[in-house]
Amino acid sequence: MLTPNGDKMASAPHIAVIGGGSTGIGIARDLSMRGLDVTLVEQGNLTHGTTGRMHGLLHSGGRYAVADQASATECIEENRVLRDIASHCVEMTGGLFVKRPEDTEKYFQEKLAGCEECGIPAEVVSREEARAMEPHLAKDIDKAITVPDGAIDPFRLVVANAASAMEHGARIETHTTVTDLLVEDGEVVGLEVEHDSGSGKRVHGTEGGREEIRADYVVNATGAWAGRIGEMADVDIEVRPSKGVMTIMNVRQVDTVINRCRPKGDADIIVPHETTAILGTTDEEVEDPAEYPEEQWEVDLMIDELKELVPILEEARTIRSFWGVRPLYEPPDVGSDDPTDITRDYFLLDHETRDDLPGMTSIVGGKFTTYRMMGEEISDHVCNQFGIDADCRTADVPLPGSEKFSVLRDYMDEFGLRSPIGRRSVERLGSRADEVLKTTDPNPVVCNCEGVTRAEIQDAIEQSGSDLNAVRIRTRASMGNCQGGFCCHRMANELHGEYDESVARQAWDELLAERWKGQRHALWGEQLSQAMLNYALHATTQNRDNDPADGEPVDFAAFDAGSTPAQSSGEAGVAADGGTEHGD
Amino acid sequence: MSDAEQPTETDPDGEFNPSAPNTGEKFEPVDVFPDSDDFDLRPGSDSCYKCSTCDTNCPVAEVDDEFPGPKFQGPEQWRLKQRDDEHEIDDSVMDCSNCMRCDNACPAGVPLSQMHNTARGEYVSEQMDKTSIEYWRNRILSNYRTSAWLASKLPRLANVAMNVTKEREFPEFATETFREWWDKRGAAAGSKERAQAARRERGLPEDADKKVAYFHGCYSNYNTTEVGKAMVRVYEHFGYEVVVPEQKCSGTPMFANGMLDDARRHAEVNVSSMSDLVDQGYDAIASCTSCSMALRQEYPELFDIPGIDDVAANTFESLEYLRIHEDLQGELAEVEVSGDLAEEFAYHAPCHARNQGLERQALELFRDVDGVGIEDVGESCSGISGTYGWKAEKYEKSMEIGEEMFEHMEHAEGDTGMTECPTCAMQMEHGTGYDIRHPLELLEAALVDGRGV
Ligand SMILES: Cc1cc2nc3c(=O)[nH]c(=O)nc-3n(C[C@H](O)[C@H](O)[C@H](O)COP(=O)(O)OP(=O)(O)OC[C@H]3O[C@@H](n4cnc5c(N)ncnc54)[C@H](O)[C@@H]3O)c2cc1C
Ligand code: SF4
Ligand code: SF4
Repeated sequence: MLTPNGDKMASAPHIAVIGGGSTGIGIARDLSMRGLDVTLVEQGNLTHGTTGRMHGLLHSGGRYAVADQASATECIEENRVLRDIASHCVEMTGGLFVKRPEDTEKYFQEKLAGCEECGIPAEVVSREEARAMEPHLAKDIDKAITVPDGAIDPFRLVVANAASAMEHGARIETHTTVTDLLVEDGEVVGLEVEHDSGSGKRVHGTEGGREEIRADYVVNATGAWAGRIGEMADVDIEVRPSKGVMTIMNVRQVDTVINRCRPKGDADIIVPHETTAILGTTDEEVEDPAEYPEEQWEVDLMIDELKELVPILEEARTIRSFWGVRPLYEPPDVGSDDPTDITRDYFLLDHETRDDLPGMTSIVGGKFTTYRMMGEEISDHVCNQFGIDADCRTADVPLPGSEKFSVLRDYMDEFGLRSPIGRRSVERLGSRADEVLKTTDPNPVVCNCEGVTRAEIQDAIEQSGSDLNAVRIRTRASMGNCQGGFCCHRMANELHGEYDESVARQAWDELLAERWKGQRHALWGEQLSQAMLNYALHATTQNRDNDPADGEPVDFAAFDAGSTPAQSSGEAGVAADGGTEHGD
Repeated sequence: MSDAEQPTETDPDGEFNPSAPNTGEKFEPVDVFPDSDDFDLRPGSDSCYKCSTCDTNCPVAEVDDEFPGPKFQGPEQWRLKQRDDEHEIDDSVMDCSNCMRCDNACPAGVPLSQMHNTARGEYVSEQMDKTSIEYWRNRILSNYRTSAWLASKLPRLANVAMNVTKEREFPEFATETFREWWDKRGAAAGSKERAQAARRERGLPEDADKKVAYFHGCYSNYNTTEVGKAMVRVYEHFGYEVVVPEQKCSGTPMFANGMLDDARRHAEVNVSSMSDLVDQGYDAIASCTSCSMALRQEYPELFDIPGIDDVAANTFESLEYLRIHEDLQGELAEVEVSGDLAEEFAYHAPCHARNQGLERQALELFRDVDGVGIEDVGESCSGISGTYGWKAEKYEKSMEIGEEMFEHMEHAEGDTGMTECPTCAMQMEHGTGYDIRHPLELLEAALVDGRGV
């Protein structure tokens, strides 16, 4: 453990952070950079919770500029910070608040004034100017306000934070569920966890196990699940999970974030994200953050409403839809009926002062955009517990991948890649591009839709083990328009060498199941054709409809080796691989 | 089949329909900023479901391992690309020969050739070194009048300085161009008289509404003038008044070389003179299948010129048109061909004829005609694709692609070839030494010269 000036501290407090979303991972990075000893546990992959199911908007604050100016001000501050420290996760697309004739002028003016009050650069543009920026905007819009909204990749950002935390000595355990809190003498002293497949990188088929992680302090950053953790120590945390749907379009119809300029409502924003555009969203309270209905009408609503802003959406291809739950929190005395009225602010609940339970603090609410600021505040709070006076450096030190780099390269000469593929790879990898892509081995494209090469897949496998969904979120492989139809098996194939057949098979199954999940809500038009083609392909070439090799290990010896050629020594199995011209 | 429209767009039903096939009828350019070739074709990728059928039909991908193929070139590249200028087009788009076979192969109506053409245009204007020999070689090659003239005078220079293959000889220039012949023959007025005479003979009203505007293209004007002459004689024979309006190159070689500015300049002239005539009730007729392809598909896909859609809708290939409007089969049943063209023909359907659904027309027409025979040499690409096979670095690949066609020609009866496309004809002749004729020439021999036989 290092002191802020780089010396090793004699005994650093050990902090256990629960939750591998943006909040938890931000805290883990911050605390470990301040020299504390950190263990983070996450029940799924990193971003398994809300963070992996959000809209990808790097807020300028414009959306809160009228109703919630405190949040708006935080957003614009953090927006500037993230552009700096997380440049390889951010695309500064810019944003527009578009006014249609039926939206009021009064609100338009309030929005403009609100932005100014919060220090958000905003300018009015005419219909013609707006349509020159975004040709697919409806012809009958009135005008728009420009704001510095951006797009941010939550997966990449969380993975980069994890990498940084690990560089600073943190231990990150994914697929590890907290099953209980250790409470001794009325104080939280650690966690009881269950590993899904051993500790460290996930390897399918490895035996899991229980572990007690003792800690000097526990931070509960489980978002919508925070109440469940609270229950383990008999404290009440009134999180009100509220679900929202997002629908992914196959291509970017817009290159700017498009917001509808009206007070609040469903389906009022389109965020360009990598190769796609994401429509959102809704706001509806649910009982259980892990189990809630996903309904078709919600998807229909996205397209019906947003085609008012961008008419081409009505005919465009949808590749999947997904839902996320907001970890909204409101102090017990407020009691809003409508979840849209609940503040988007975050709350730090120190259970010692609140519930007489020392040793643990929960953080609830907030936004992805302000994750770093939340991390800073809670890290300050944790340091205070131990009388440590260490400065927060997360706003100044770039994340791994975001050190100075340029995407403009000669992709063919440097990496042997076709230019849009090289460009996408470098955008994803940031300053790590050279390290990952400069390889002397053959480097074919594994995922054609997103332009992901073998080298990038191998790099991700090295980071995350045999978990192909973890590879997916690191690389975007299988996230394009075929939704894994043509690449899932190739990704599984990349596990070969390091991992055996049964590991690869389990990982492959999981990846296919995950890919199918989101497509169920896009089965019409082109995506239906795609699903049919994928099915036919997977069934006829990979036995995916009914694989005799699933389950029991295959008894390869039982296969007919084919007729043995007279002149050969009769080695069994020769003909089975189709290798001899005599086989019939 | 693209989607957006100009801000001032007026066509209310010109909407994007990703599930409709690429028929070439209702195109709408995404020319957002006036006078730019800045098309956003990303939504065109919506229809692609990655089946790779286009790749398996691409003749260049078959022989060139470095060429990533139409699926990458088209829907994948467009989807990965972004609208800003910094997103580069991959240089492999210059290896596509623009044969447009991928267009035909795609079961989902992805506007592949439009994507290639647009990408190539962007590549050439944004990324290609304008001082490179390759740029000027391509530019000169795609301006047929200049290149063919130059090369016919200075063949060595073309080979050495311009990196044009020395394996091929530039075609000879006719001593009298088609247009000179046409003027001597009395031009439109003369044609009208002869058409009226033909109508009388056929028992048609003298003022029957039969008039066509001939788009002869460069090659039948300067080189194979006999094709142009045959067109005029055959059409007049059926009672059509022919006019030969002012025209420039169709632009086909320019599309293939990404010279979209040059192509647009030429297209503007062609569309303007053709659309006047179309307004007056003329149909546009081309004797070259690439020219008809340009007018009816590539123009409206790539440019937004007033009148372009009407011209596209009223353009036909010369045989196609007669097969629609006249009883060719009936007349041919009455005659027997003798003389020069009483031959067994090895027929090759040009790729661009396939795109227009015309690959069977010559076979269906001539297979039962007395005195001649015709045999299809299969559906492979000839490999020359206009300017592609002229480039020194592409020559070998071009011949490799053509190999299958050459072989089938050798196996066919007789040693005369037939095709509608002048550059396919060059390749056929180059690979086999056969004499190559245009279907119009045979029609002329059968119906005009052959009358009374
Ligand atoms: C529909 C929607 C759209 C949004 N869009 C945006 C946006 O565009 N921009 C923006 O800034 N914000 C957005 N947000 C808000 C933002 O996504 C969240 O505020 C943020 O991601 C919350 O992160 P978190 O780490 O607090 O929670 P989570 O990401 O949910 O992390 C909590 C983690 O704890 C883990 N966990 C729970 N229980 C246990 C246990 N027992 N043991 C181990 N681990 C456990 C979970 O698996 C989970 O990974 C959106 C939210 C929603 C719902
Ligand atoms: S136009 Fe021809 S050469 Fe070009 S990609 Fe298509 S099939 Fe291949
Ligand atoms: S043939 Fe059409 S649908 Fe199939 S991969 Fe090619 S472009 Fe896509």
